[in-house]
Formats: sequence, structure tokens, C-alpha cells
Amino acid sequence: MELTRRSFVKSTAVALASAAAAGTLAGCSSLAGTGADAAASGEGVKTVGVCRFCGCGCGVIVEAKDGKVVSVTGDPENGSSRGLNCVKGYYLAGALYGEDRLTVPLIRDDKATKGTPDGLREATWDEALDLVAGKLRDTWKADKSRLAFWGSGQQPIVEGYCTAKFWKAGLLSNNIDPNARLCMASAVVGFMNVFQTDEPAGCYADIDETDVFVTWGANMAEAHPMLYSRLTARKLADSAVRHYDVTTMTTRTSASADKVITFRPGSDIAIANAIANYLIVHDKYDHDFVADHVQFKQGTENIGNATDDGYDKSDIGQAVDNVEPITFEAFAARLAPYTLEYASELSGVPVEDIQELAEVFADKSRRVLSLWTMGVNQHNRGTWMNHCIYNIHLLCGRYALPGDGAFSLTGQPTACGTAREVGTFSHRLPADLVVKNPDHRRYTEAVWDLPNGYLDAIETPGYHTVKMFRELSKGGIDFLWSAHNNWAVSMPNLTRFLGRGDLKGINDAFICVAEVYPTLSTQYADVVLPAAMWVEREGAFGNGERRTAVFEKAVDAPGDAKWDLWMLMEIAKRVLAGEQIGGEDAFDHLFGAWYDADAAAFKGSDREVCASIWEEYRTFSNPDLNPDAAAINTEAKLKMEAKQLAPYEEYIHNHGLTWPVREVNGQWLPTLWRFCDGKQEDGFDQYGIEAYGEHDKAGGVSFYKSADKKPSVVFRPWEPPAEEPSDEYPFWFCTGRLLEHWHTGSMTRRVPELDRALPEALLDMNPADCERLGVTDGDRVRVTSRFGTCDITVSTAGRTRPPAGMVFAPFFAEETLVNLVVQDTYCPLSKEPDFKKTCVSIEKIEG
Amino acid sequence: MRIIATAAAALVGAAGAVLAAVPSPLPLLRPPGAGEAAFFAARCVRCGRCLEACPYQAIHAAPLNAGREASTPFVNARSQACRLCAEFPCAAACPTGALTVPEERGGAAMGVAVINEDTCLSFQGMRCEVCYRACPLIDEAITIDYRPREGDAIHAVFAPQVIAEDCAGCGLCEQRCPVGEPAPAIIVVPTGADEVTYQALRNGAA
Repeated sequence: MELTRRSFVKSTAVALASAAAAGTLAGCSSLAGTGADAAASGEGVKTVGVCRFCGCGCGVIVEAKDGKVVSVTGDPENGSSRGLNCVKGYYLAGALYGEDRLTVPLIRDDKATKGTPDGLREATWDEALDLVAGKLRDTWKADKSRLAFWGSGQQPIVEGYCTAKFWKAGLLSNNIDPNARLCMASAVVGFMNVFQTDEPAGCYADIDETDVFVTWGANMAEAHPMLYSRLTARKLADSAVRHYDVTTMTTRTSASADKVITFRPGSDIAIANAIANYLIVHDKYDHDFVADHVQFKQGTENIGNATDDGYDKSDIGQAVDNVEPITFEAFAARLAPYTLEYASELSGVPVEDIQELAEVFADKSRRVLSLWTMGVNQHNRGTWMNHCIYNIHLLCGRYALPGDGAFSLTGQPTACGTAREVGTFSHRLPADLVVKNPDHRRYTEAVWDLPNGYLDAIETPGYHTVKMFRELSKGGIDFLWSAHNNWAVSMPNLTRFLGRGDLKGINDAFICVAEVYPTLSTQYADVVLPAAMWVEREGAFGNGERRTAVFEKAVDAPGDAKWDLWMLMEIAKRVLAGEQIGGEDAFDHLFGAWYDADAAAFKGSDREVCASIWEEYRTFSNPDLNPDAAAINTEAKLKMEAKQLAPYEEYIHNHGLTWPVREVNGQWLPTLWRFCDGKQEDGFDQYGIEAYGEHDKAGGVSFYKSADKKPSVVFRPWEPPAEEPSDEYPFWFCTGRLLEHWHTGSMTRRVPELDRALPEALLDMNPADCERLGVTDGDRVRVTSRFGTCDITVSTAGRTRPPAGMVFAPFFAEETLVNLVVQDTYCPLSKEPDFKKTCVSIEKIEG
Repeated sequence: MRIIATAAAALVGAAGAVLAAVPSPLPLLRPPGAGEAAFFAARCVRCGRCLEACPYQAIHAAPLNAGREASTPFVNARSQACRLCAEFPCAAACPTGALTVPEERGGAAMGVAVINEDTCLSFQGMRCEVCYRACPLIDEAITIDYRPREGDAIHAVFAPQVIAEDCAGCGLCEQRCPVGEPAPAIIVVPTGADEVTYQALRNGAA
């Protein structure tokens, strides 16, 4: 069966680029029909896609027939997954066809019905859009600080790009943040602080090449199923390969571990510092690598905890980002207290286990790959722990080398591609640019064709996610628009954000939720906008290894459900009516190339629109496409092309590409190993290093994006968790994801096979704790923290095996709603909440 | 009458359809502690107390057209498996000793799970293993055999394996298996039943 993409690629490769450069879609009309057109005719059509769920970004082939997706299978040509899926991907088509898909706009007339499944009535699109846009415009005109957009690491790239453009350039507001704040923010701040560039140097192929895996706070077996398959394949291929699982509890990921190192929650920094100290004290660090590539720093310490709302504006809250250079000797002196014995005392890990792990890093005859996820990021010192892992790897010369590196795994399908690369955060602009940097604003103005200085109005970052919802719950937000997320289930401390007891803030605010199914979030919505889902429109995701991949449109959305991008255009056009930018109609100035406001329609097919928006977006990483941008890039030494993206059709043709993508003799070549010298054809960063880096440095790497080409090793001390078990709240409570369900379950629980596979959220407990409390497998218990309470069923089966004094539950089940209990304390640097260390009491519910 | 009504409601689904169509060619999955078929048949007085004791409504009475099995208790694992309660309230409620309380959860001896490797997603290289993670005796009754995947250097096969002597036959694996047609990829063969015949019948053989 011929894929429709092939005819598209042949006929339009040149036409697209030139049409986009001319700011018009004319010339694209010869494009082949989309999969949706052919599928409607009754003939089965296969299109290329990428899985809707986790950060693995597995490629899929979607088959549609009679207007319906009939199968989803692995795409062997996708470089990230090469043809396999987990059970969620296998049953992905079912996620489109839950019985209660939202297909009509809904309006709530009586705010007293908020928090119930009732009170929403059907409406026309015009009525719903007029209402939403009217509220947004009124709020915007009255007080810009009282509006907000909450987006997602699941919002496709061009949709995120246009949302950011509307919010930042159209509304001149920074009150936009994604749910990626809840999963990747600590990794991001770690990357920026250490390397001054937000990206992993390595790629998934590192898994195939390493000799020792070290997983830190990562349950890959459940949260990154296909990457764990890759890890397992590597272990099976070579019996000498080792795996150390550094964790607070035994999980399914521990199955492949040669040693499980179970540490007391919050003590990971002490362990990492002890390893770094050991490497220095025993002179087992890489002198050449350190001399060539590393600068040393220390930063603000004793930073307390961001539990109270006033933290960010407190003296210490304002100082958390400060660092100062120190000498290697001073760094070594700071580390000196972190003896193996001290780390053992804090962590409960035997001295010899920490020493064994330190020796793993010291042994340069073998490659070591650190992998980590939410145990590190969702941490009251999440940014610091990211630092500490890089500290070890940089000290022993293990970074940016094939199989020898530190790789932060991402949670969501496009947390990297959209939230981070597009920059849908309250402090960012596209392509690693930030609002507070004048050169970055000038560059963005050039690409967006805004008057010089136009973006100075947004030089101050807006509300980060937790702040946004704290403001919502206490009446500081009048307008909230959320899309591609389910905040009423996923936010921590829902007891606070859902306004238990008061409800005033959430009742008074006007809340617009774009969704595909009814959720707890739609129960708090004033307007629900029914959205096209996954392959019901075209889009692109960027996964955890810098791979951008397009999913083609395969079928039409059901009923009156619409593309989120169409909703954005219709709301933007209404809000910006009568406004001007540079003497031109504001809406047309920002979006007129793609959208005909009068006709209420895009100026081309999904493919044409996505490709054209992509061409503007990729100007950020291809300054030569815009002379003004090119001049600023050169003058301000921004090195924007370091993250070069390819023309849109290359991503379809190649089933995804890892950036930077370099044009060599008419071919666009991806990069697998950043900052690593070698041939581009072999996946190395040849052209980046030739342009900005240096050859013949230690390890054959050159960190040309870092200040002075030297990443920062920053001393970060161990400081205690925000709260610790007490007589009143004696247990640590850790939450997370399990394999069968995606996030809040709003999609996967509508798939009968997946709902059957895991129908309920259970509280995994240690049998000794159960015996002490007189509870047994299957009993209902009440879990209470100083934040809130939820009821849940106990399991001692052992899917995860928390040590005594700790319990675990997944967060997918809205009827259990574990986030009523979880603290909203966040890492002071990244503002990412700590979902792993809330202290709770557990009591049996009798009867 | 209550017992019969409950049984009728339970006979929905693959196993139920087969059961309803033919007067019991398919051996029934008995509650925990039933032991050998002849032993159980000799003692069960069809009183229904085990049904009432089950907190999960997992035990039903066989329909009246089930011949000599009529009104005897059985578990339809696909619709609601036995949850292996620590105290086994069903067996504890049995007045005749037809059900004896097992000494440990693994001793329920209801049957043994069998995997159909042709339909199991895990054997195809998908990361599924739902049965394994659902198993109340994870790593004992079901384990994972990690195997290289032929012709694929970057993926492993996570092959679930039933350890027959440790399997209680509770059927939670069967209930949770995402594969449905023609039958779940893992089914519990009741104690005393012939595995090959039973599996064939569950797969729809006449």
C-alpha cells in the first residue's frame, strides 16, 4: 500500500519552502490529498505517525478505513523505536473512540454547578467562541496579570508555537506555562545552568552502546516501556553489562539491576556528592577532561522550601539562581565533608555500595550511562540533583560520548519538542531564548516582524504553573484557558487548587477547557471546546532524544470537534479585533499568512498550514532565512543555528530526525551525539564543532554552547526534604505513572483493553507496615497529609515494593485523586513540584 | 432464586457463552480450596454461602441447565477473578468442608494459568506483561523470561512464564489480559481439567 506521504514529498519539497518564504500558501495547491480524504472513500490508507503517549516517541503506522482508524502498528522506519510499541501504543486507536467523545461546544450558565458532572449545555461554536474571546478580551483590557494559559508537553509543535506567539506577541503576556513544569522543569534548569543549552547531548542509541546503566529515580520499565526494552536487550547481548538501580523503592525496573541501591528519600544528593568526593580524594577523576572542559562554581545555599506562597519574592527566593566561580580546590573542599560514611548515614545505603558505585564511575575501561526521570526532577532539590549527576559525569569525563553519558529521560511526547524547544513557558521565547534577555527579544521581534522594542513589555516572566493555580484558587485569575492537560487531576495539592471549603477562586474565574473527553477539569469549566485528537489533524512531536517527528492527519474529527489551532485562530481574531501591530491589523500581522479571518478558515490543508508555520518557526534556528534575524544572531553571538531544524517535509520523508539537522550537499543529516567530534554522516556534531567548537580537546568533545566552552560543575549541598515523617504523618508518599495508563487516564481509561488491564489505582505498601497497622491486601485505607486526604485500596502484591515507612500510588485514577494529598512544594530553582515525598498517615477504613 | 439470578448475570463473556451453549463440557473454575473434583462434588451442598461471603462477588452458581453441576459455585475469571483474600472468607464460610481454607494465598489450587504464545502481545515483542504485573503472586506464579528478540538488536522479548506449582489459579491474569479474541492470551485451566482440550474449547473449537 503506497503511503500518501511519498507523492507529497516528491511534488512539494521545493514548492513548500519557497511558498513559505514568500509568506503565502500559494503554490502548495498541488499537494496530494491527506490521509483523511482517501480514508473517507472506503479504501484503507496508511499514514505515518508517532505515539500519542510517553516521551519515548515511538513511531507508528496508522491505518484508516471508512473514515476511522482501524489499526496502529509500529513503524520500523522510525529511528527511535524501529517498529515496536508498548501495550498503550498497540491499542492507541481505541483512545479516539471512547463513547463519550466531546463533539459539541458546551457552556455552563450556572457557576454553582462547578465541580459536578452537570450544568453544561450544548452551544454553537460562535456562541462559545464569542463568550471565551469576550472574557479574554475583557480581562486583557482590565488587568493583563489576571489571565493565563496552561498548556502541555502534549501540545503539538506548531500549535504550541502559535499559542506562544499569540500570548507573547499578541497579548504581550507571559502568563503561559505548560504541564511540562510538573515533569521536566528541573531537568531544564539543570541543562541551562550546566551547559547553557536545554538539550541532552546523547540519544537513545547510547543505551545500545553502554557497559553500565545507572538509573536514578527512574522506573523506566513502566514509564518508558520501549526504552527499557532497549536497556534489557543491551543487557542480554553482553553478560558483562551491569545495571545499578538507585531508587527509593524496588520497582519493576529493579528487575534488571545487578544491584538495587535503596536510599532514604531526599538523600540522593548526599550519595552523588560522596561519589564526586571519592573520585577527587582518590584521584580517580579525568584530569584532562576537567582541564579542557570544566569550570567550577558554587551557588546560594540553605534555600529553605517553596511551600509558602511568598517564597519566590522572599530574599532567599530571589537569590536561588545566584552562583559564583570557585577554584577546583575550593570545590574539592566543599565536597570533602561528603565521605562515604556521611552519605551512608544520611541515605541508609551501606558504605560499600556507595563505594562500588563510585568505582563504576572511576573505571575508564567501561562506559557508563546515567538515566533519570521524575525521582530526580520532582524533588524539592530537583535542579540541584540534576547538577550533581552532571558533576559526576563531567569529573570523570563521561559526557557527550556514545554510550558514556548522562541522559535525562522526558515524560511526555513533546515536552521537549513543544514546551522546551518552542518555549511555552512563562519565562521563555522559542529556541532557548528567554524574555528577560534584550538580545533574545530583538531576535524574536525580527522573526515575528514586530517593531523594535515591542517585546520589552514582556521582559518580566509571568506565573509559573504552581503560582498560576495558587492565584486561581485565591481569586487572582479571572480567565484561564487550558488545553492538552487535565489539571484538576494532575496538579499537586488539589485540595488547595480545587478550593475545597471555599471554591470562590475557581468559581469566580472564567475557565475555558479544550478537551476530547469529559474530565474533572471540564467539571470546573465555564466553556468546554471539543478538540480534534491526535491524527484527526496533522501535527508534530519532539521526543526525549531531540527527534522531531510528524504525525499525518488520518481521519476527520468527530462531530463538531475542531483542531485546537482553529480554536486559537478564532479566539485570537476576536480578541485582537481592532488592534494593530506596526500599523497593520494585529491578527493578520501574526497569523494572516495561514488563516483567513473573514472566511474563518485556514488558507490550506492541515499539511500546508503545518509546513508553513514550521517554516516560520524554524527561522529561529536557521537565521539565514531572515536577514534581520541573521544580523542580530551575528552581532549578539546567539549561535541560533546550533539547533538547526530541517524543512518540514524532511521529517515526514525520514520518519523523524534528531536535531541539529545539517544540510550537506542537498541532504539533511541529523545529529545523534551533540558536541562530539566526528563525521556528520555517522551522527556526530561535525558542523557544529567546525563552526564554533574546537578539535583535539579531551574526549574528542567540545561544548561550544557553554560559556567559555566549559560546562559548569556547581557544588550543591545536601539539604533535607521539605517535610519528614513524624508521629502524625509517619509515611513517605510517592506517586507516579504505571505502564497501562497515560497520565490522568483521560484517554487510556477509555480504551477497553487498557481499562481492563489496570482498572484501579492501588496503594502499594510494605507488608511489615500493613501488619503494624492491621491492614491487609484489599483493605480500604484513608491517606492523609497536612494538605489533604484520599481513600484508596491497599496492595501488598509487590508490583512496586516500597521499603517500610514508604507507600506508592499511581495518579491516573480520578476517583482516587491522590493529588488531593500531595504537597505543592516545589524546587525553588525550577518551580517543579515534589510529587515524591509528601508525608502521610494511613488508617484503615472500617466496614 | 437469588443464586440462579446471579449466575445468569455472570455468564456473560467468552467463557459464559460456551458454558451457556453446552451443558457444561467446560470444567468449572472452583473457589479456593475446592481440591479434587470428586472430593468437592461429594461435599458441596449448593448452599451458596461461599457466594455470599465473597467480597468481590466473584463466585457464582452454575445455571440450572448445567446438569449435575447446577447451582455449584464457580468463578468466571474473565469477568471477575478471585482476589485471593488473605483470610479466604469463601472457604471459611463453607459448612461442609467442600472448600477448605488454604494455608497460604498460593495454595488456593483453583487451577493453573496457561499462556497462548501465538496471541500473547509480549511474545511479539510488545511491552505488555499485564498478566505478570496483575498477578497477586508476581515473581512467584508468573515470572518474566527476558529473551533477545530475533533479528532485532534493540529490543528484548519480555516473555511471561507461569510457574505451575506456584500458580493459585485465581484468574486475575485472565481477567486483566488485554487480548480478547478469540480468548484471552492467558487463561486458567481449572484443577482436574485437561489443558489441551480446555484451551481448545476456550479458543472456540466445536
